[in-house]
Amino acid sequence: MKLREKIESGRFVVTAELGPPKSCNGSVIRKKTAHFRKGISAVNITDNQTAIVRLSSIASAKIVLEEGLEPIIQLTCRDRNRIAIQSDLLGAAALDIENVLCLTGDYQTFGNHPEAKPVFDLDSVQLIATARMMSDGFFLSGEKMKTAPDFFIGGGANPFADPLDFRVLRLAKKIRAGAQFIQTQPVFDLDRFNEWMHGVRELGLHEQTTILAGVMPVKSVKALLYMKADVPGMRIHEDYIRRMERAEEPKEEGVRIAVQIIQELRKIEGVKGIHLMPLLWESITPRILEESGLMERE
Amino acid sequence: MNKNRLLSPIVTLERKKPTRLERFLSRVMLFGEDCIKVPLFRCQHCGECILSHTAFICSQRCPKRSRNGPCGGTGENGTCEVYPERKCIWYLIYRRAKLLNRISLLKRTESIHNWNLEKTSAWLNVFRKRIEPPVIFLRKRDRD
Repeated sequence: MKLREKIESGRFVVTAELGPPKSCNGSVIRKKTAHFRKGISAVNITDNQTAIVRLSSIASAKIVLEEGLEPIIQLTCRDRNRIAIQSDLLGAAALDIENVLCLTGDYQTFGNHPEAKPVFDLDSVQLIATARMMSDGFFLSGEKMKTAPDFFIGGGANPFADPLDFRVLRLAKKIRAGAQFIQTQPVFDLDRFNEWMHGVRELGLHEQTTILAGVMPVKSVKALLYMKADVPGMRIHEDYIRRMERAEEPKEEGVRIAVQIIQELRKIEGVKGIHLMPLLWESITPRILEESGLMERE
Repeated sequence: MNKNRLLSPIVTLERKKPTRLERFLSRVMLFGEDCIKVPLFRCQHCGECILSHTAFICSQRCPKRSRNGPCGGTGENGTCEVYPERKCIWYLIYRRAKLLNRISLLKRTESIHNWNLEKTSAWLNVFRKRIEPPVIFLRKRDRD
């Protein structure tokens, strides 16, 4: 069953994130997909995340597709203007990749080529609308296409960045532009996430799109502290930092925290899935799914 | 054709060469606009002014030049992810929009920037019907 069909049938879905390597070695991707074979509906392929040059997301998605998994390509506005974006979208559609997650993209000064020219010809709302327009059979110029692609369009959301009210409003904008599913930043602060979801439910947005809440298992307290200090727009509850600090086996504690967050998220009205981000720790995916009871649904 | 109007419907390339007088007038206009907009709003000369939608704070000061709201990188207390010493421009916009009851204008989907209008006078562009006129006064029922 495809991701689109699963989501449309109202099932609780799990997606996972896979970062392509900093080389042309495609077998790295093949290896990583092994951990996502069971319980995962689709695999997100990041698009040069944190502005570090990596194997292209569309090429990686093709490899994932060959491995028998369903990819979701991430597409950022950082490196492409409207011509390249539309061309890449057509290319993805030609390779049978239909899930697209439209993001603004991290600024290049975070990456390994900080001197690069920022493009940002479109913003993420306009990118979603562009994918929608192409699915309707038109280029941005208004010219009609001979064969229209059929994208399943996603958008990002960060419930943890300020101001909270604007985050809900922006989600509404993305949905109006055509976002069929939403993947959020990793949740490490359930109170704030609940507050955001409350705003989302108030406007009835959870019924117009499918919200997949982000969950990131961490190996050590260092990862949490790094995210708190250096990843913009992240919010991490003190409790988790304290628990990771005190834990004798931080890896075990990391799994426990992730499982606990997943269980809390499943109780929230309007959360229809989980987006797992096991950065550099793909191998833990099956265990987390098992322990949080998401495996047996298959 | 499509509900989300993403590009301005006006033909974007000049077919006709402007006369010398026209060029002179547009430069005078641009100078006058700059004299006001640069000191007051730190105008970035996009030529497609949406100041009135964004509570009279220029959104194009955003490093990512987003026209539709903040990216996901706004830090605690509204810091910009690219320049942590600055405030996110959309954070400031939201705060002032709330103060002026102009939140409803932030809900619009702004169209994709027409780069042919870059460094031209937005006032002239309004006059020549290339862009929408600004919404200076908001009717009472539209306020929220």
